[in-house]
Amino acid sequence: MPKVKINDIEVDVPAGTNMIEAAATAGVEIPHYCYHPNLSIAGNCRMCLVDIVGGRAPEIACNMVAREGLAIRTDTPNVKKMRQSVMEFLLVNHPLDCPICDQSGECRLQDYYMDHGDYDSRGVEEKVSKQKRQDIGDKIVLDAERCVQCSRCVRFGDEVTGTGDLRLMNRSDHTEIGMFPGERLTHHYQGNLADICPVGALTNKDFRFQRRVWYLRETASVCNGCATGCNVQVCHQEGEVFRYLPRRNDAVNKSWMCDHGRDLVPGIAGLERVLRSRVDGCSVDTEAALGALTTRLKSAKSVGVVLGSQATNEANWALLQLVRKNLPGARLYAATGNDPGSVEYADTLLVDADKNPNNAGLALLASLDGRVGSTAELGSALGSLDLLVVLEDDVIGRLKGHGRPAALAYFGVSKNATSAAADVLIPVCHTVEMDGSYVNRQGRVQRIRRAVNAAGDAVPAWLVLERLGGKLGHAPGTGMVAAAFNAMAKAVPAMKGMDFKALGDAGLQLATDVPEVAAPDVPASPGATA
Amino acid sequence: MDFPRILSGNWEVPDSHTLAVARACGTYTRVEMALKKPPAELIQIVKDSGLRGRGGAGFPTGMKWSFVPGPEKRGNKPVYLLCNADESEPGTFKDRYCMWKDPHLMIEGMIIAAHAIGCKVGYIYIRGEFRYIYDRLWEAVHEARAAGLLGRNILGTGVDFELHVHLGAGAYICGEETALISSLEGEKGQPKLKPPFPAVEGAWRCPTIVNNVETLAAVPWIIENGAAAYKAIGTEKSPGTKLFSCSGHIRRPGVYEIPLGYPMKDLLEIECGGLLPGRTLKAVIPGGSSVPVMTPAEVYACNMDYESIQTVAGSYLGSGGFIVMDDTTDLVDALTNLLRFYAHESCGQCTPCREGCGWMYHILCRVRDNCATAADLVTLKDLADNIHSKTICFFGASAAMPVQSFLLKFKGEFLARIEAASMGIPAGAIIANPEQRVGHPVAPSVAGA
Amino acid sequence: MSSSSGHGAAVASRGPIEWPAALQPQVTDILSRYPTRQAAVMPLLWLAQDTWAWLDLDVMRLVARTIDVPASQVHAVASFYTMFKKAPTGKYLFQVCHTLSCALVGAEKIVAHLERVLELDAHGNSKDGLFTLMRVECLASCGSAPMMQVNDHFYERLTPESCDQIIAGLRSGKPLAVPRPEVNEWTFPVS
Repeated sequence: MPKVKINDIEVDVPAGTNMIEAAATAGVEIPHYCYHPNLSIAGNCRMCLVDIVGGRAPEIACNMVAREGLAIRTDTPNVKKMRQSVMEFLLVNHPLDCPICDQSGECRLQDYYMDHGDYDSRGVEEKVSKQKRQDIGDKIVLDAERCVQCSRCVRFGDEVTGTGDLRLMNRSDHTEIGMFPGERLTHHYQGNLADICPVGALTNKDFRFQRRVWYLRETASVCNGCATGCNVQVCHQEGEVFRYLPRRNDAVNKSWMCDHGRDLVPGIAGLERVLRSRVDGCSVDTEAALGALTTRLKSAKSVGVVLGSQATNEANWALLQLVRKNLPGARLYAATGNDPGSVEYADTLLVDADKNPNNAGLALLASLDGRVGSTAELGSALGSLDLLVVLEDDVIGRLKGHGRPAALAYFGVSKNATSAAADVLIPVCHTVEMDGSYVNRQGRVQRIRRAVNAAGDAVPAWLVLERLGGKLGHAPGTGMVAAAFNAMAKAVPAMKGMDFKALGDAGLQLATDVPEVAAPDVPASPGATA
Repeated sequence: MDFPRILSGNWEVPDSHTLAVARACGTYTRVEMALKKPPAELIQIVKDSGLRGRGGAGFPTGMKWSFVPGPEKRGNKPVYLLCNADESEPGTFKDRYCMWKDPHLMIEGMIIAAHAIGCKVGYIYIRGEFRYIYDRLWEAVHEARAAGLLGRNILGTGVDFELHVHLGAGAYICGEETALISSLEGEKGQPKLKPPFPAVEGAWRCPTIVNNVETLAAVPWIIENGAAAYKAIGTEKSPGTKLFSCSGHIRRPGVYEIPLGYPMKDLLEIECGGLLPGRTLKAVIPGGSSVPVMTPAEVYACNMDYESIQTVAGSYLGSGGFIVMDDTTDLVDALTNLLRFYAHESCGQCTPCREGCGWMYHILCRVRDNCATAADLVTLKDLADNIHSKTICFFGASAAMPVQSFLLKFKGEFLARIEAASMGIPAGAIIANPEQRVGHPVAPSVAGA
Repeated sequence: MSSSSGHGAAVASRGPIEWPAALQPQVTDILSRYPTRQAAVMPLLWLAQDTWAWLDLDVMRLVARTIDVPASQVHAVASFYTMFKKAPTGKYLFQVCHTLSCALVGAEKIVAHLERVLELDAHGNSKDGLFTLMRVECLASCGSAPMMQVNDHFYERLTPESCDQIIAGLRSGKPLAVPRPEVNEWTFPVS
């Protein structure tokens, strides 16, 4: 652990840490464009030049590895002038189109100009013109004039997707970012290019001109698109979600997420939500629906209960408790495998074949109860059941061709074959509408957070299941999601010692390996990249 | 002046580029001597000789070689020796003759250097415009290989050294050693971050030594005659001889080998034959276009060695590109010409250089055309300061130093243009004699006399 | 890109191409010189330019396939170096150096003269497709300035008269007289 000094603030940092990161631990921000913690060092933007105490010339902090006794200064007049001059150089050929640029508000040229530029313009020469508004991929529009040639996107293509598609062509001030003429991006990680572009050169087609970013609020959560559980920021305004952005977590997704995850933003996905409770074809309020379900559960002879791999741990736990305490005769099943219509491909980077966010959490809880049946067992039992209670999974769509239970109760987020067939239908919250936790494929317990209000009458599934338990006689009565999680953690050995708050933004690893998850076989898409 | 012509001794010999003639001149006799010596001894001899890199930076060659990690440290990584034959610094044209007239001397130097650093494969990186020399170099390599001087088991010593010639394709920056490495690797010719330094991690991430043509051509003589003999030539800190490429307004432009420490005045008046009739000296760029310009007073007080030029004139010996400008030269136009070069050749990697070189050029165009204000000169100076030493490689400084030095030493010429602009005098009109423009010829009128 | 002027003009896209069989040994030899295939990009671009006169997109794709890199990489390399032709030129490419040492002794006069006698269009091509004139930066021939490179060779110590002789020679169809540069051939006799 070398000890280094930034502006006289002494910090210990792990060996190999660069000085941008070391300074950050000391609370000192060193501005940068080309540096990205999950890409190789390029050192070309020169924005992170700092003075070395006792050194002859300024050096870039990104390529400076912390060594014992190294002392740098970022607060000298020289550093101030260097930053100002780099800003001036970057802007001398930059178009003045902020009013019509969708990057406005999250543009490092704007931000750093306010922090480090603030000069009187001396740029009177003609600006170099380059190609604008190029459609280079399904998700990305390129404006080469706005590019600051930081090469982040080039390195992303070389180092992350391995596609090597973007290149800086030509040289001198005619250096221009681009693709081979006529070619387009083919990979499923295009959205990341817009994220890592520090300026408005690469923008995301789905988000362009949808909303000015300064109106957006961000909520740290987890993508529900597959078992990987990429950490995301849910960006929303007044109840509407506009985009997911990857949130850095080096243990899970580094700084990336796939385009399919981004497509899950409800507005983009065109999700048809279950908004009202329904009993035997009539809309009712949720209280009435729970009452009807209580009656039917009490009278039914053979009851099946399906835990869901898209439901949170808290919801599955609530359902498990409900069965244990109130329905000793009911048969439990764990629904694994993908819902019909799931995107069918996987790669070795982030996209998992298992499109459920919480299969590992489900498997963990199911393993606690020796009598939980598999999806196949459910299929063969389906026709003989008086009543089947399903949590979030599209069981009916998936088990086409099998028998039908006499009655069906469904706690569902969106419309599908199961919701259509349900005799009792109760709307539950979408992942962006509630707090809770998932366990990803590597056994990491991660928090989701409520970003927007629930649609229609939806309530968090764990909560509505606790209410149902109360009606049946025994309610766990935790009342709060944190208490629900903590009660579960106390009972689950792999979660020993875990506390909901302590999951934090980065999540916690299970104490034991994830139980075997029955993962569906999904062919890799030809466009998927290693 | 009595000194051995170490580098250019064979240039006047007919067919000196052929192996037969080269051998008759003694070339390759030093290979036998060197391959019998342990590598460490060779490095020590070159260190002791004080030989400094002739490409421009003047870094001690022996020390550079000693930075290559030993076999125990580098494991099974190969070591590469690259000969920098990109010769791209404006005003420099010496390597061209070294390779055209005596390619075997340089190859001999490479064999010795390769043995010293433990290298088995080397490349000569030659600029694309030297295609006719590229063909000649391949001929020389094939001849040497056929004679057992290259390839496996050279002259039965058990030493292997394979040599290839790699043709550039038009990029000044490829003369910068890490850009040369990038280019050789099949990338754009863009300099790499240091650390790591090439001697530790260069071409294909293996230890790599890059030496200039002239540097390598000096090695055989040093091995044959010893470090002391080499040190006896030149000055204490700048030993040996050096090739100077002399161009501009002089009677005898050309390449001259002289001992370092030779008076600049004598180089100008004796070797270069002095100025053209009736002209007086206005300015000299002593070491290739990138180094600061010198005034006549500095020229007459200065010697041709690394230290003197720096002490007297704050300039550098550089690659030895000696560009002479007489009183007919419009220095504003001259500087504009140089900045056009840098704006065209910036590799485009670092922000200050990429954006700043073009910006400085455009300002200079306006100064030249009587369309600038005094504030533009302040901006120009400030931009140069903001580029110098703020970039990955030395190119930024190379573009900044001409601007800084011209503005410092010949401020009057620039201010005259500003004044002309303020008086509404149109472009080109301030110079009474249009012949004074750099762009206009001076030679024919004199040649006709 | 300028249109189909001059020698070797090719259609914008000819479709996938392969190395002619006669060149295979050269391709193999080039690949054998380097520890990586990517390093062969420049020699292969040279070979391709010699073969097809200039580097259209299909040629770049061929080089990319040969060394197993993305076509964008080859495009980036080709775009970086000035000598790789991204557009067709005349049969004889005149590259006149206009950097300082040449400018000091009359490069502009040479350029002006060539522009006049070659009767060039806006792209610098002569009407007969024989010549293309370009200004280039320093070619390391400052001691024999002014000078130009015609295809692979340097013609030095140019005067308008010597330019005329070179052009007349090329127009007459005689093979290009290849200059053999000598050291220190002075323009001005030692007094």
